[in-house]
Amino acid sequence: MNSRERVLKLFKKEAIDRVPCFSGMGNITETGINELGYKFAGIHLDAKQMAATAATTYKLFGFECGVVPVDLCVEAEAMGCVINVYPHAEGILYPTIKEKLIHNEAEMDTIKIPDGFSEKGRLPLMREAIKLLKADIGNDVAVGSYVLGPFTLAGQIMELNDLLKLSFKKADKVAKLLDLCADAIILTAKEFEKAGVDYITVREMGATSDVLSPRVFKNLIMPPLQKVIKAISCHTVLHICGKTNDIVTFMMEAGPTAISVEQKNDVAESRKKLGSDALIFGNVDAYNVLVSGSEDLVRSTVRKCIDDGVSAVWPGCDIWPTIPPENMKAMMDEINKYGGKK
Amino acid sequence: MADEARKKEILEKLRNGVIQYDEDACREGANEAVAEGLDANEAIFDGLVSGMEEVGRLFEAQEYFVPEILMCADALYAGLDILKPHCKQMDLGVKGSVVIGTVEGDVHDIGKNLVKMMFDVAGFHVYDLGRDVPLDKFVDEQLKTDSELVCLSAMMTTSMVGMPKVIEKIKAKNPNCMIMIGGAPTSKDLADKWGADGYAEDASNALKEAIKMVAFLKKLRDEKAAKK
Repeated sequence: MNSRERVLKLFKKEAIDRVPCFSGMGNITETGINELGYKFAGIHLDAKQMAATAATTYKLFGFECGVVPVDLCVEAEAMGCVINVYPHAEGILYPTIKEKLIHNEAEMDTIKIPDGFSEKGRLPLMREAIKLLKADIGNDVAVGSYVLGPFTLAGQIMELNDLLKLSFKKADKVAKLLDLCADAIILTAKEFEKAGVDYITVREMGATSDVLSPRVFKNLIMPPLQKVIKAISCHTVLHICGKTNDIVTFMMEAGPTAISVEQKNDVAESRKKLGSDALIFGNVDAYNVLVSGSEDLVRSTVRKCIDDGVSAVWPGCDIWPTIPPENMKAMMDEINKYGGKK
Repeated sequence: MADEARKKEILEKLRNGVIQYDEDACREGANEAVAEGLDANEAIFDGLVSGMEEVGRLFEAQEYFVPEILMCADALYAGLDILKPHCKQMDLGVKGSVVIGTVEGDVHDIGKNLVKMMFDVAGFHVYDLGRDVPLDKFVDEQLKTDSELVCLSAMMTTSMVGMPKVIEKIKAKNPNCMIMIGGAPTSKDLADKWGADGYAEDASNALKEAIKMVAFLKKLRDEKAAKK
């Protein structure tokens, strides 16, 4: 059973030989970037570099997937935001949104999805990157991509401060904007599907219960999230950061194939709540364990994730690129040793 | 000067205005405080800040979430804007000035703004560099303003890693400067490792830390008053 078969069987809830170790979020490494002689700032704007870099985490370490893009600005840029890739940066700075689309409450009503959306921003580049990645390693591993959740996208195209306050004061207005964001996300996901991805992760990072109450989550966040997930035909993973134990049931109700949680989620507890059949991916701390932890900590974390009942060992966020290669190797070695024991 | 009962009524109005995120009530309470000769510092600490302390508690109890806190902050500022010009120079033995901002690569500033609010309340001079701030700017601004405190914020792991560079540079030039880091991905371990003097992992903790600091100032003020 190769990695691709293993991951795809997992999504279909068929029997597999061991717990896979992969991600639906960014997982490129500095080791990989250096090996190719690229610069981090350059890979966001070049399909070939993006795809080649994304393939290195599998090629160098056996990580069981290939994922593009690397940053979180694809949808917002296609909607018309200007992004900053920090071309001058020596180290690693992820692109951010330079210019919001909505500057005041009135503009929430007038915003539209631009005509010819599928050709806007980096969507053509993304299609090409996915195709290149698939041609390169698509027989060996599952190829994935990610989109933002509607609330997270809304927080990029307008001030998050205002969005949060209005989600309380004028929920109707926010609901309308989230629905529009959902449409833009669906259009984005369709392009990824056309290019041939096997699974799409929906990252609703801004809607964590560290920030919003479960009540607001259910009334305001869920409907557009459900709309997005329903419209995607390939496998979907719903990821939310932070403390998610109170909302894992809602997350499942949103209808994804699997849910993804980070280290603040008590997976044993979530497993109890959701039952043995549910696909729960997580919950390796992508910085404090993978980057600054020792190899031993990486190994014990992998084992704990499995013991707690994850369906796949999966970093709770983008792998920070400065992850030491030894830690990456330790993670993959441990999954091979321990992943079949349960 | 208003009598005790009336004073209590006004302080209560300010406090509840913050808790119930009622900007109008805070404005009204502040105007009454000014018109009736209440001590402005007292109106801020025993009215507005006391309300914010309760908001912090409600957040911890998961009755309030971030949207509510932001609205409470707006209400606090509505009162503070009116009271501030009437504040006597607080003689606390702490002449605070602080440089604050979100590090380059991060455009999230909610936590930073909450901390800034508490510094505003405490009468600090706040040099707010905003968000997505190039690392060297923190160093330059600290030197330029000779601030004794620098606060670095990051919400994303992806931008947090710039922090140690700033801390190192500032400490090299000015070892006495205190540095506080904050944001979801930070931890006490990282703060220790990077040589920061304090940390707050999220907006509520930052708020709590800042409230603690302001509460400490308030205690000093009370002790001073008691001595008189």
